Amino acid sequence: MFDSEFLLRHALYASLTIGLVCPLVGVYLVLRRLVFLGIAIPQISAAGIAFAYLLHTLGVHFYPHEAEEQLMALTGSILFSVLAILALASLDLKGRGWMEGRIGATYAGAAAASILFVAANPFGESTLLSLLRGDVLGISTSQFWTTIAVYAVIALLTLLLQKEFTFVSFDRDMALSLGKNVAAWDLCLYLMIGLAIAFGVMTVGPLLIFGFLIIPPLAARPITKGMVPFSLVASAIGGVTALVGFYLSLRWDVPLGPTDVAVSCVILAVISAAKASKRWIRNANS
Amino acid sequence: MRLVDISIGYNGAPVLDHIDLEIARGTFVGVIGPNGSGKSTLLKAIVGILPVSRGRIEFPEGKPRFGYVPQRDTLDPLYPLTVKEVVLMGAYGPSSFIRKPQRDRAMEALVQVRAEGLASRRFAELSGGERQRVLIARALASNPECLVLDEPVSGIDQPTTQVIMDLAQALNMTEGLTVVMVNHHILSLRGRAQEIIWIVDGRAVCGPASALLTREKIEEMLMRGP
Repeated sequence: MFDSEFLLRHALYASLTIGLVCPLVGVYLVLRRLVFLGIAIPQISAAGIAFAYLLHTLGVHFYPHEAEEQLMALTGSILFSVLAILALASLDLKGRGWMEGRIGATYAGAAAASILFVAANPFGESTLLSLLRGDVLGISTSQFWTTIAVYAVIALLTLLLQKEFTFVSFDRDMALSLGKNVAAWDLCLYLMIGLAIAFGVMTVGPLLIFGFLIIPPLAARPITKGMVPFSLVASAIGGVTALVGFYLSLRWDVPLGPTDVAVSCVILAVISAAKASKRWIRNANS
Repeated sequence: MRLVDISIGYNGAPVLDHIDLEIARGTFVGVIGPNGSGKSTLLKAIVGILPVSRGRIEFPEGKPRFGYVPQRDTLDPLYPLTVKEVVLMGAYGPSSFIRKPQRDRAMEALVQVRAEGLASRRFAELSGGERQRVLIARALASNPECLVLDEPVSGIDQPTTQVIMDLAQALNMTEGLTVVMVNHHILSLRGRAQEIIWIVDGRAVCGPASALLTREKIEEMLMRGP
């Protein structure tokens, strides 16, 4: 699999990169109890992709012809997901309404919009459906390098700004009392989450992005102490999931996205069972 | 500091209205009043978390550095933070890069509250009293001139309440810190607080603890309001 001549090496390395980086931003969705944002935003991103393709089919062109489809899809994905996460997060921070209800309605609306945009598109339905499901095996060289570059920047910034993000997430009032610009840090964090989702959905699809954002942090939390170990272990679980999932998908000839999600669920179940057994043994001994 | 005719509230509805107060440097001030009367709101306005909707807060001797200790139940136990990480938050400056003197000060603060043995434990797994001491250490790590504590002994057993109140008193008397503390345990403020702010129905009565914490006055206040 790691041979330089391996035909699917770009797909493998793209999956691995997304698996390593998504949990780094996903830890904040878990800790802020915004897990369902992790499913709603990828769906909105998918709706953005479908909408961009529809515009393209209807003859609306913004970019040079040779790269237009991909670029329009990426623009749709980024615009929809970043705007949605900023709107949902700002309403949440203002404490208005009921966040879970809003996220549920957003998810339903985005899923319906994706299907309607695809149905309204007279051409390329199969290509579009494959893109919405996430087809990393067909990743182009330019898309591969864009994914690597964007995720490298997101990983670097998330690790560098980890203390700020943790502080404003954990104790907003204390951060305000020390003069921190909490709204700016929130904006920065949500932008990073939005970009990670937008680029990831283009490459591996909404289901796998949700899986990578949420399941590795859930698995890492009970076995780590401290924010840096928590983030790094979550990232490592994401990386292992991507590698094992890729291998099993090739070996058994099954779709990659669901295989990765299944692998991460098995890791989560094993860790939860091990923790429960440890607790049971400790209680029995005492 | 002087609060001049201030009103504070949420979404345009005032919780406290036309409040005039003065807190002298180096005093121990107890803030008391029924649930939902606006005690925490007052603290948040003092430290600058909540803007006042009317009036002004004046600092004739310059704005002091505040060490804010929030209600510990507002901090989510989902975070896998260690005690050391929580205390170091108090040492963050404009950026979260911490230099050695600030790091040393944070560790000293842990010793000061007798919680140095907890440094590597998970914050969420501590008892209520231990968490409270760690939060006080975090506030001390910011080298405050004014310590602002929001219900530090709520839901804590009597011996631990005593420890935390003694600690606040020691910080006030030996280090000269101004202490402003919201506290439901009126009796634990007796002999420690020099001034009392009593909040009822959006208004405040202030005075020396010796005058406001007498049995007769407490009964009168509870019956009639300020």
